[in-house]
Amino acid sequence: MPESIQPKKIVIFGYMLVPMTLFIFAVFVPLVAAGVFSFFEWKGGPNKIFIGLENYITLINDEIFWTAFGNNIFLVVACIIGQIGLAFVFSLMIYSRLVKFKSIHRTFGFFPSTVSAVAVGFIWRMVFDYKNGVINWFLTAIGQEDLTRVWLNDEKIIMFVVAIPLIWQYIGYYMIIILSAMSSVSQEIFEVAELDGANGIQRAIYIIFPLIKNTLLVCLTLCIAGNMKAFDNIYVMTKGGPGYSSNVMAMYAYNISFDKSNNLGYGSAISVGIFVLSLLVIGGSQLLINRATRSKEV
Amino acid sequence: MAGKSIKTNSKFANGILGFFMNAMLILFSLSCIFPLIWMFYSSLKTKREFYADVTGLPENPTFQNFIDLLSNPNNNLLSAMLNSVRTTFLSVVLIVICGYVLGYILSRINFKGNRVIYIMLLMGMLIPVHALLVPVYIVYKDLNLSNQWFTLIIPYVAFGLPIAVFLVEGYIKAIPIELEEAAAIDGSSFSKTLFSIILPVSRPILVTIAIIQTFACWNEFSFALILIKDSALQTVPPALTMFKGQFSSDFPKTMAALLITMSPIVVLYFTFSKQIIKGMVAGAVKG
Repeated sequence: MPESIQPKKIVIFGYMLVPMTLFIFAVFVPLVAAGVFSFFEWKGGPNKIFIGLENYITLINDEIFWTAFGNNIFLVVACIIGQIGLAFVFSLMIYSRLVKFKSIHRTFGFFPSTVSAVAVGFIWRMVFDYKNGVINWFLTAIGQEDLTRVWLNDEKIIMFVVAIPLIWQYIGYYMIIILSAMSSVSQEIFEVAELDGANGIQRAIYIIFPLIKNTLLVCLTLCIAGNMKAFDNIYVMTKGGPGYSSNVMAMYAYNISFDKSNNLGYGSAISVGIFVLSLLVIGGSQLLINRATRSKEV
Repeated sequence: MAGKSIKTNSKFANGILGFFMNAMLILFSLSCIFPLIWMFYSSLKTKREFYADVTGLPENPTFQNFIDLLSNPNNNLLSAMLNSVRTTFLSVVLIVICGYVLGYILSRINFKGNRVIYIMLLMGMLIPVHALLVPVYIVYKDLNLSNQWFTLIIPYVAFGLPIAVFLVEGYIKAIPIELEEAAAIDGSSFSKTLFSIILPVSRPILVTIAIIQTFACWNEFSFALILIKDSALQTVPPALTMFKGQFSSDFPKTMAALLITMSPIVVLYFTFSKQIIKGMVAGAVKG
């Protein structure tokens, strides 16, 4: 092999040194640091006391943390149903011959996913606002005044309220992914299905669904990973409140470490907890998916 | 006869179905675009006019909200925009260059650490970013890396790198190796082949990476929130949350601020929407 194709080791090393050093510093050093600091009682000052596993024992018994974890799981489920479900339905509709303005639906539908979650949170805060929000204005306008409420301050419904912007923002994103998968399915298959008298719904379930299964699984994984790290929307809309009713794990780590107290030792333990739980949920769902798809093929 | 009535029946059913589907999709598209329109015409109202009628069009449109925002030195909207532009630009350039070089080396060159580096990058993609917020804060503070003009470029490049590398790697694999062999026969060095022969061929994938990362960096919130406390260095998303406290009851002004900070993204999106949608989807599916 000529040297210009398989260059000397030192050349490769030289090219990789800077990016890999940066990468290891930014990704792996903090990971190790979280592990180390999680064994200390440390409130940000000069005093660090080694306390062994005490932070983890606190964490396991910390109801607020587990509520937050439960809220993450709620968001995952809500978004799988709301985002991927609706995106699939909308994709089928756009594929239909009966629908017009296809490219406009694509362009407009995708737009919210390019806006920052902070801006989206702001917009929906104004929509849900008690005094001047569009929702309460609309309810009053149609004479349903008793349905108006303080949307962002009601423990019972707050998780549904914060899930709506999240779902809304990414329907178009998944719709485009699913549409691109559908366009790679041969047009002939659709036509054959029509000749056989398959109606739209049958066609969707029996023909399209299995053919784009792999893409749907990619969407599922993206959706799970995305919602385990929900933070920006919640920070803007409720900061985890009222009380802890819309708290998510990242919000809790933020509150403990920076906002309500400066407990960096416990904050590090929570970070390790987020890390482990996220990997468990993502890995576990992958296993389930693999098993489910395999057993169907047999 | 029976056949004909079935046909008209199905035509009728199709009509209803078509109407229903069109209505659903139009409603969905409107919901996606209406907030932008609502914010635009509402930002031209005064506070009083807005509260009198939340959804109505402005009677005497005024740019006063925008003028107030941009002329008030107490809110750092303009400096936040500049910080975001600088951070995004430098991060994207570095991600594209580093991602290209690493992706090329990983796909073409056999060396001992090749798989190790590949797996490390893969782990970088799997690690939930929000598990790192607290330790990142501690490490950067200890090393005096927080609150600098370049602070955010470090995590943005590091966390943008894996997806960039994998996209480049996949793309390079599809380029025939004969291209490099021919270059070698012509006496081209490794670096010359890398930057003046393969780089132009890889342009489409590099554009895709740049698109994905431009949006990611411009919109990034959590690292910006914890690593930058100095308001003169803040990027747009955390600057907006500061803003919330100042004008929480002035919706038209808040909308004006949102529009100002969203404007680069909106213009970019509606000018290049086809390429942007294609690029983002490629990134999502291959990543």
